[in-house]
Amino acid sequence: MKAKRILATAVACIMAMSILAGCGNTQSESGTSGSGSKADSGSSFDTTSSISVITREDGSGTRSAFIELTGVQEEKDGQTTDNTLPSAIVQSSTQAVITGVSGDKTAIGYISLGSLNDTVATVKIDGVAPTVETVKDGTYKISRPFNIATKDDLSEAAQNFVDYILSAEGQEIVGEQGYVEVVENAEAFAGAKGEGTVKVGGSSSVAPVMEKLAEAYEKVNSKVTVEVNTSDSSTGVSSAAEGTVDIGIASRELKDSETTKGLTGTAIAKDGIAVIINKENTVNDMTLDQLKGIYTGSITTWELG
Amino acid sequence: MRKYKEKIMQGVFLCAALVSIAAVALICLFLFVNGIPAMAKIGVFDFLLGTKWAPSNEPASYGIWPMILGSIYITAGAVILGVPIGIMTAIFLSRFCPKKLYRVIKPAIDLLAGIPSVVYGFFGMVVLVPFVRNTFGGNGYGVLTASILLAIMILPTIISVSESAVNAVPNSYYEGALALGATKERSVFSAVVPAAKSGILAGVVLGIGRAIGETMAVILVAGNSTIIPDSILSSVRTLTANIVMEMGYATDLHREALIATGVVLFVLILIINLLFAVVKNKGVEK
Repeated sequence: MKAKRILATAVACIMAMSILAGCGNTQSESGTSGSGSKADSGSSFDTTSSISVITREDGSGTRSAFIELTGVQEEKDGQTTDNTLPSAIVQSSTQAVITGVSGDKTAIGYISLGSLNDTVATVKIDGVAPTVETVKDGTYKISRPFNIATKDDLSEAAQNFVDYILSAEGQEIVGEQGYVEVVENAEAFAGAKGEGTVKVGGSSSVAPVMEKLAEAYEKVNSKVTVEVNTSDSSTGVSSAAEGTVDIGIASRELKDSETTKGLTGTAIAKDGIAVIINKENTVNDMTLDQLKGIYTGSITTWELG
Repeated sequence: MRKYKEKIMQGVFLCAALVSIAAVALICLFLFVNGIPAMAKIGVFDFLLGTKWAPSNEPASYGIWPMILGSIYITAGAVILGVPIGIMTAIFLSRFCPKKLYRVIKPAIDLLAGIPSVVYGFFGMVVLVPFVRNTFGGNGYGVLTASILLAIMILPTIISVSESAVNAVPNSYYEGALALGATKERSVFSAVVPAAKSGILAGVVLGIGRAIGETMAVILVAGNSTIIPDSILSSVRTLTANIVMEMGYATDLHREALIATGVVLFVLILIINLLFAVVKNKGVEK
């Protein structure tokens, strides 16, 4: 008797699951073209497949800069609304977005230009490809500053590190890593000062270049250790305000609510936001309006015309 | 002299027990003192039943209904997939498994229990997500992927506790059923398993508790969109993922809203435990 009941429950569960799977399947089939985008690998990309939109989490500086520059964020009558598609996949770091896009043919995402690698392809916006040159001369429109957030009571070692970043040597490293230098006529580094540990934390977009700067600085000043940890821009800035880190790093401008806490923002580099797609995606040129449409959900398939 | 030693040891054990009670009390206090005022500020119904979570908008919206549904759906999915497999495995291990096979399976399950949840998350992201994408369509992140992953994660918990429960049933139950002429399978399922019911139920509750509280693994495979899931392939965000993703930088009302989310999670777990206590008592009365 008991065995029959267990068997009956098991069969019922299996049937329930298959019904749910069936519902899910029909919904996704109307969106994608089923086997179209899977069968032809590489040779022809199916432009009728629906776009898999990947965005960053709320506290990301890259996200704030992106939604402001593309118009996805609207300001009307004193109200600010982020119109990003609610069903967009949210990934918590630059690397996670790259992994997500490289694994999914129909995906689109945005990352720091300096973090670009060859597992994904980039999209030209209004005919301009994202490179260091186009960011520098302003023809590539989606770019934002890397800022460090510091309080006035910096330790000697931390202040020395900041001086290094803004010196000619520091800015040279910034340029080598694929970002745009921002200090005009940077002076040579004055010399090592201070000792101890300097804690730096914040944006996952800024962290790679910050780690290179830390490495180079530690060679010049052997008495100082620089620790870089990664979270996101807003976390980095609030940690700097609370004193948990000495220097907060953000991939956007500091907000008014952050500067009133006694923080000063200093630009250390300029970085483009590259829009990335899977390497097998053949749609590699779009207008800024189309990009906005994709991220607000008004454009749902890759037929951009 | 011995009397004093006794009393002192009693005191030591009492203190140890009090530490646990103190920990639970402190956590409850922190959650409720910070979370309830936040719920009042946002409006209890706007908070619990609101469908828009947008803390960076001006004005901000703090509705967590999609996240509550997300947690419930993913946990339900994990239970549907994991509990039958877990209980069947436990019964097999306890009553039907040949000794040689047992020596291979048991360590494997214990190993499964020890794997960190981040590793499960990576496994899910690299193996499960493409599998679901290619088999079922969509982009691979969603309720189904998270349920499968969570089902695998709660298996060791359910199996160990259920197996102990089935093992603890006196052999006389089994022999009695055999003596009445039942086959081996019939005896196990009609005499031994019902006797182990409360232990198996305890294992299931532990599994559900783990599933609802799981954060890292779920963040990597569930998609984290703040929408009400409309199919099992839809991207979803759980209460735990919501707290983790935004706690680092949240300030003022946003931070308090996240603590209030913790309160909701706490209450959900209390409700689950209560439900199972009720079900268990009903079973005993029968």
